Amino acid sequence: MKKVTILSIFVIAMAVIAGCGGVRRDPGRVYMPDMAYSRAYETYSVTDSMKEALAKQGIHFSNVPVPGTIKRGEIFPFLIGKDKDGDTVNYFASRAVRNPLTSFDTVEAERLYLVNCGICHGGKLDGNGPLYKGGDGPFPAKPATLVGDAKYETMPEGQMYYSVTYGKNKMGSYASQLSTHQRWMVIGYIKSKQGAGKSAGGSTAGADSTAKK
Amino acid sequence: MIHHRPIVKTFIFSILLSTLVSLANMGYAQGGAAAGDAAKGKALFTTNCASCHNPIKQITGPALKGVTERVPDKKLLHDWIKNNQKVLAAGNPYFTKLYNDFSKTPMNTFPGLSDADIDDILKYVETYQAPSTTPGGDGVTPKTEESDNTLLYGILTLILAVIMFVLLQVNSSLKKLSDDKEGIPAQEPIPFYRNKVYITFVILILFVLGGFWVVQGAIGLGRQQNYQPEQPIFYSHKVHAGINQVSCLYCHGNAWDSKHATVPSLNVCMNCHAAINEYSKGPKLYREDGSEVDGTAEIAKLYKHVGYDAKTGKYDTNAASPVEWTKIHNLPDHVYFNHSQHIRVGKVQCQTCHGPIQEMDEVKQFSALSMGWCINCHRTTKVNFGDSTGNGNKFYSVYEKFHQDLKNHDKDSITVENIGGTECQKCHY
Repeated sequence: MKKVTILSIFVIAMAVIAGCGGVRRDPGRVYMPDMAYSRAYETYSVTDSMKEALAKQGIHFSNVPVPGTIKRGEIFPFLIGKDKDGDTVNYFASRAVRNPLTSFDTVEAERLYLVNCGICHGGKLDGNGPLYKGGDGPFPAKPATLVGDAKYETMPEGQMYYSVTYGKNKMGSYASQLSTHQRWMVIGYIKSKQGAGKSAGGSTAGADSTAKK
Repeated sequence: MIHHRPIVKTFIFSILLSTLVSLANMGYAQGGAAAGDAAKGKALFTTNCASCHNPIKQITGPALKGVTERVPDKKLLHDWIKNNQKVLAAGNPYFTKLYNDFSKTPMNTFPGLSDADIDDILKYVETYQAPSTTPGGDGVTPKTEESDNTLLYGILTLILAVIMFVLLQVNSSLKKLSDDKEGIPAQEPIPFYRNKVYITFVILILFVLGGFWVVQGAIGLGRQQNYQPEQPIFYSHKVHAGINQVSCLYCHGNAWDSKHATVPSLNVCMNCHAAINEYSKGPKLYREDGSEVDGTAEIAKLYKHVGYDAKTGKYDTNAASPVEWTKIHNLPDHVYFNHSQHIRVGKVQCQTCHGPIQEMDEVKQFSALSMGWCINCHRTTKVNFGDSTGNGNKFYSVYEKFHQDLKNHDKDSITVENIGGTECQKCHY
């Protein structure tokens, strides 16, 4: 019977080891690694060290497009550059720029707004999105109240576009997430919500310019 | 340590509280800003100041708490708030230095605020207290092991097998006894390891188990279901997509437009994290092994990769380095998969394939991503052919026969398989 005991203990121990499947930190094995893991460089996978290795072979490249590149089918770009620190010249110059879109897909514009802006500025454009929540959210600065605040109701489209493109205060630049066309769509969407659809152009801009800095 | 934590916490909290109270009293004594209504001040502060100022955090402008001590001259402070340009032009050294420290970012002017309004705001700022940290966080316990019944069943089976074995032994002993009694000559006793019945039995079991393991192992080759690697930064999808409701497409926007969902570049992180530099308001975070995560330290890791100095708010692009995330979902190169085709055209939710990602602290591969899994979904998923009024995806208008079938009620829906979703060359070419 001693053998039986030893045998059964061994089997139970095996079962316990096999039963305790923890967190899977290992991707496991594959049939053909060349097919599962591409030999070619995948998007975003080229690091500086890989670039150096390629440079030794005489291959030089940059995965950043040339400055000034315009995407195929894209509308004409915004020509005003970013202000230097503490400078507001271009920010004010951007007031003169008008929205080149005369009409746009409002459903898509709303989607873009909700995905990219609603998180802070709120689905109702009230400046109280889930990240701020009246001060209870993690974001320490109050996002702009796009609808209902005279400052933003009267802000010209071009100036809004400047802020979305280059960032303003604690808001970052959205140029990497939204194309030129999409940014103008979002601006158009915001303007369509403000003042019950009333277009706020440059006419009211001069009135309180000091307050808008 | 764990037992002492609540005591220590209470202690620290009470010290903080008393410090705050005494600070507030000092403010009362020195600055005389106590005149004013904090509740009214809060509303005014939120409307006018909160987009650039936080009482206790430096954002676009400086943290305001204690401002009545830093600027004891009440009239000067009021003048500054109403029209800072005038004060700067007059050449006040304190404000000039402040203006230069904040890279000459001009402050808005507030000609509309009355002295009483400013008193209210200052009162609110000076009496502001940070919301208690980790609300509801203490109630969250580390993940416990999910109970798995397989082990229990295994042990039960083993016990039953041992009992059977013992009973067989008892049976043979009894038989031998009765044979002895009846005078039948006992056969030579055979030890169980030479008993052909036992040997056959064991071989059979080993064959079945071995076959099962071999087949399972072969199928599992190249499959990574439940793969949950440790990432260089503890990025919790639960905190971002779950608690804070950031849309999946905010970061993975390319899933809408392209084949790849892509990992966002770090400037997308900095859209929020330039301002959010600490993790203090969410529940406590734990790794899968139960160790606690310091969220603020993880954000600091991000800053290091970006080359961002949280104190000065300056970027040093030379110090920046990419975060080398570990890719979890791998399809072999001979499979074509397109995200936009699924989520934009097919309106498939992210969670259909990626599981409850908004509840995962550490992401794991939810689906098998095997071919059978793809095909099953293509067989059962219905395509948006629309109704007779012509809603639905216009792309499918070329399938005239199916539209006819739908009209004639020969079919009640069209699946992906019907329009060729299970043909080899749709995904392998």
